[in-house]
Amino acid sequence: MSGAVAEFPLALRYAWVVAAIPFVSFAFVGLVLRPLAPRAAGVVATLAIFAAAAMAVAVAIAYYGLYPPGAEHPALVPFAVEWLRYQPGFTIAMGVLVDPISVLLIVVVTSVSALVHLYSLGYMRGDPGFGRFFTFMNLFTFSMLGLVLAPNLLQTYVFWELVGVSSFLLIGYYYERPSAVAASKKAFVVTRFADLGFLLGILLLGYHGFTLFGEVGPAVARDVAGRIAGELQPLDFLYLNDPALLARLAEGGATVGGVGLLTAAMILVFMGAAGKSAMFPLHIWLPDAMEGPTPVSALIHAATMVVAGVYLVARMFPAFAASGDALLVVASVGAFTCLFAAAIGCTQDDIKRVLAFSTLSQLGYMMFALGVAAIDRPAGYTASMFHLFTHAFFKALLFLGAGAVIHAVHSNSIWEMGGLRKRMPVTHLTFLVATLAIAGIWPFAGFFSKDEILAAALHGGHPLVFGVGLLVAALTAFYMFRIYIVTFLGPARHEGAAHAHEAPLVMAVPLVLLALGSIGAGWIPFASFVGLGGEATEHGVELAIAIPATSAGLLGIGLAFLLYSKGAERARSGAAALGAVYRTIKRKFYIDEVYVFLTRRVVFNCVARPIAWFDRHAVDGMVNLSGQTTRWGGRLFGRLHGGKVQAYGVWLVGGTLFLLLILWSAVR
Amino acid sequence: MSGGLLETIVFYSIAAVALVLAAATVTARRLLRAAVTLMFVLALGAGLYVMLDAEFLAGVQVLVYVGGIVVLIVFVVMLTSRADVVEERPPRARKALGALAALGLFLATAGAILTTRFPLADPGAVPAESAPAIGAALLDYGARGYVVPFEVISLLLLAAIVGGIAVARKSSPPGQPMTSGGDLPGEVDFVPPRSQREPVKGGGDDA
Amino acid sequence: MPDIFSGIGFTPGLQHWLILAAALFAMGVYGVLTRRSAVGVLIAVELLLNSAALTFVVFNRFSRPAAVDGQVMAVFVIAVAAAEVVVAMAIFVALYRVGRTVDLNKLDRLKNDEVER
Repeated sequence: MSGAVAEFPLALRYAWVVAAIPFVSFAFVGLVLRPLAPRAAGVVATLAIFAAAAMAVAVAIAYYGLYPPGAEHPALVPFAVEWLRYQPGFTIAMGVLVDPISVLLIVVVTSVSALVHLYSLGYMRGDPGFGRFFTFMNLFTFSMLGLVLAPNLLQTYVFWELVGVSSFLLIGYYYERPSAVAASKKAFVVTRFADLGFLLGILLLGYHGFTLFGEVGPAVARDVAGRIAGELQPLDFLYLNDPALLARLAEGGATVGGVGLLTAAMILVFMGAAGKSAMFPLHIWLPDAMEGPTPVSALIHAATMVVAGVYLVARMFPAFAASGDALLVVASVGAFTCLFAAAIGCTQDDIKRVLAFSTLSQLGYMMFALGVAAIDRPAGYTASMFHLFTHAFFKALLFLGAGAVIHAVHSNSIWEMGGLRKRMPVTHLTFLVATLAIAGIWPFAGFFSKDEILAAALHGGHPLVFGVGLLVAALTAFYMFRIYIVTFLGPARHEGAAHAHEAPLVMAVPLVLLALGSIGAGWIPFASFVGLGGEATEHGVELAIAIPATSAGLLGIGLAFLLYSKGAERARSGAAALGAVYRTIKRKFYIDEVYVFLTRRVVFNCVARPIAWFDRHAVDGMVNLSGQTTRWGGRLFGRLHGGKVQAYGVWLVGGTLFLLLILWSAVR
Repeated sequence: MSGGLLETIVFYSIAAVALVLAAATVTARRLLRAAVTLMFVLALGAGLYVMLDAEFLAGVQVLVYVGGIVVLIVFVVMLTSRADVVEERPPRARKALGALAALGLFLATAGAILTTRFPLADPGAVPAESAPAIGAALLDYGARGYVVPFEVISLLLLAAIVGGIAVARKSSPPGQPMTSGGDLPGEVDFVPPRSQREPVKGGGDDA
Repeated sequence: MPDIFSGIGFTPGLQHWLILAAALFAMGVYGVLTRRSAVGVLIAVELLLNSAALTFVVFNRFSRPAAVDGQVMAVFVIAVAAAEVVVAMAIFVALYRVGRTVDLNKLDRLKNDEVER
């Protein structure tokens, strides 16, 4: 085992460079290049991310060189700088945590971000806000990396918010469009609301963690000595995930509103994760977020930001696992969202909306995979991270391909596309690869990761969840092939489609690279890289799972071809037959309307309006009152100055007598 | 305190008359009447001074107060009102307040007077000769002398005279040289030397 | 209530004189506060000054008859009263010339006029 932090390999000690490069690039591009040389801004920003990706790979190599795959993978904190000092025993540091999932995420984030940057050089060309776009993309990349590398909860929270801000800026990129502005506002407000729960959870954990730090802390500090820079602090993950602490928190009789302390805290933290990862019912912002440019959707709302919630749950997995109820909540919410989103995705006509709901559904998979795992049965944990990894590739590819199609056809609706197979061959081929991957067909990546999730659910003793996962696999294949067929096959349904042309090279190269990833990612023996110890999970194909899963996928594909291959009449009659049910699903189950009703009628009328009234009349009234009182007092005393000297004389004599009276009574 | 009974009678008589006349002074509606009654009050005051062995002061009182100040007051009355104008009664509220204030003041003072033990001189002490003593005191250079206030008073009187003239003088119309009298605009009865003459065009008044 | 009436007697002693002076003073105060014309106030002020001078002389006579400090003070009071009347008269004359009045009710330019901003 390695010794002190100073003996770590160079790449690990400088792991913070991975996040620093995008930050420096953000500052430089934003302040210097954007006003002066916008075209150069794009190139510099892209190169910066490629550099960061190279550094991330170096970190990965160093880490796995130190702890070879298949062995133990402890968490390291090779870099930490004291930032806030509340008390000598309670400081917050800004630093870098290196462990399997953070290494995984930095590789994924930087590489996908680099490819998206490259793609954007072509996609955003000619747009007046070109420099602004790359500035914000760099900011986002920096924020995401800071979040992923955070060694303590507070740094996570800080970068969490920063990620939210970047997302806001990017969704509202076309700020002259009211719908885009509304969408960015919605995203920010919903995630901000969720972050309230997150913050409460942090406060609970922090408070109780700090209270117990005196007893439990020293033992944990001894365990991690030599692996962390600086001292262990109460908000560090290495402390909060420690089994000894978790046992104390779980068994302590303290309850919050009838729920155990640890469970309550973890559910609150999960609220934040649910917001960021768009779990039901906080999913409403994600479909609207498609108002942003397509590269934004590809990077943020498919591969990186939305997985922050999943990442948070994974990061605090031991804490979640120590409270069985919290994990159950995670699993249920994840499974429900998975099914819910898939159902809606079958009915949407906007290609980006379909992909958005598809993302929701896949996030549901990742979430419930974590939910069905346990400390001693961590298969779900590994499966979730594996799916996160593969999903990043094929979802980004799907979005970028959709972007190319939208760019060529000048429309988002699949019914205005068609016949693009011949006109856009590269796009078509890569899109097909991604669609097969998401449908879970061998040998593409999705097959392996989805299978592992289903295996974890089944073997973990959650047959219902397994069933839901299987059903959604079929639905996924169905709706993904629906859009594939309508978009690429058949005749051109519209003028735009008739005149489509292939994407330029700078856009095509990322597509191809991602397609390669979508094929090859599944073959990595993931469990030997990312795991929690416990049962050594075999990376192999378990036929008992594979066959039902693949059958479900093929079923979905077949249904899609049946309904959509020759025009869409069969589909339309089917939709008409389902009538109101179809309409409800198409309207996203009216959830948005419910929210609008709640905010308008309940929050605005019953909460906001009285508070505003109070503010205007009581608070302002008090201030005005003090001013008015002064004025009245002034006017009153002003009347004493009648200008008549004799009145002054009377006051003089009267005053003198009064004073004499006082003196006399004092002397008596 | 010789001639006890006589003294007592004289004192109370003078006091009564003085008080009645003082009341008349402050309530008279014709100002000239008020000035006259004031003159009588001051004259009675001189009588009181005589009773107090301050003969010189009594003379001064008559000469200056009665003979000078009251005359000045009559001048003012003549200059600032028509001779027969009758002053209106003050409103009841003002009368009441004034009476109240004055009464209050009187009671407070009387209370203080009656409850204080004043250091009294030996009843057999001989009072000083008024005029020589005053004269000596006024020119005394010593620590208990009054020569400085004496000189200052003369300065004060000078200042009062000059100030009075300055304030009461008519200001000349612009462009006109100073006049020392005359009511009609344009009337000139004093031409300053050439060096003191103001330029005819537009020059403002000089102090 | 302190015992003020015993031992005073009828013969005019210090306190009788002082009360006389105080009464004259009070009447002067009444005049100052009540008179409508400025000259009327001036007249009342003379009463005030006179009673003050009287008080000085009274104390001189009853507390230290051998000295004349009180009388000297009274001389000064009279001199100051003269100066004061001169100046006051000048002011009233000037005022009358400007405004044709010395009515104190009308001379209230110092009053606080409510100006709405």
